[in-house]
Amino acid sequence: MLDENELWILSFYRTSEISGALFFGRLAKSMKPGPIQRDMTKHFTDEAVHAWYWTACIEKLGSKPIKLSAAYQDQYLSAAGMPANLMEVLAITQVFERRAIHQYMLHSQIPNIQPETEEALGKIVEDEKWHIQWIRDALRSMEGDYGKDLIDATLKRFHEADQEVYRTMSQEHEERIKHLIKQKTGRMENVRSR
Amino acid sequence: MFDQDKLKEKIAEFIKKPVSFLKEETALTDLVAESFALIEMLIELQEEFEVRFFVQEDLRSIKTLGDLIRLFESHATASP
Repeated sequence: MLDENELWILSFYRTSEISGALFFGRLAKSMKPGPIQRDMTKHFTDEAVHAWYWTACIEKLGSKPIKLSAAYQDQYLSAAGMPANLMEVLAITQVFERRAIHQYMLHSQIPNIQPETEEALGKIVEDEKWHIQWIRDALRSMEGDYGKDLIDATLKRFHEADQEVYRTMSQEHEERIKHLIKQKTGRMENVRSR
Repeated sequence: MFDQDKLKEKIAEFIKKPVSFLKEETALTDLVAESFALIEMLIELQEEFEVRFFVQEDLRSIKTLGDLIRLFESHATASP
């Protein structure tokens, strides 16, 4: 059975992956045939599969996902403003995916992590690396249309927004993980001292 | 020449309402209330009309459907 913090965190991952899948799924319908359409379609299916990994993981650990209204993505829109074109959507996603990998890597450092959680994290991080790669390639392919300077400036703007989001919502997530690390490290020390 | 009627048809199709429902003075947020859906609509329209030069600054200046139509017209004219 998951404790309150773990259940909140895994449910938060699940909600964010669902939001990502729904957004990219709808956007993928609008794309014209080509590499971006292909990779965006794969990206949206990955996010949907990740949501399934978290749902299955929570159930295997004897709990039920919590219904959360907020996802990472909502906070990004508030802090960074609405992306106006495809380049801006990809730029904000690039920054967001880097933050997601950071959070998942931090989570994987929890001592005595359940094998179910570790397995889901491992599979998802591999996919997220590919997400960063395809978006980087797509942004490069857009340099002719938007200009490298504008793309770099957009990435910088969204990076600053990421810092703002991190100070609010993501920090809650990180504090919950740090609490778990502390809690589990404490338990291990108690076992060692017996 | 930019086809304003076709743009209205696409918007009506997106929001699943007849074209007659669209009024230039209608606020965009009344047409599409949810932020992600609005982003989706704008990108779909840019893809459809091959207008790719919107920036966030442009979006701040548009409040109504009429503003959006004029923005498309100006960018369609400016696009190569």
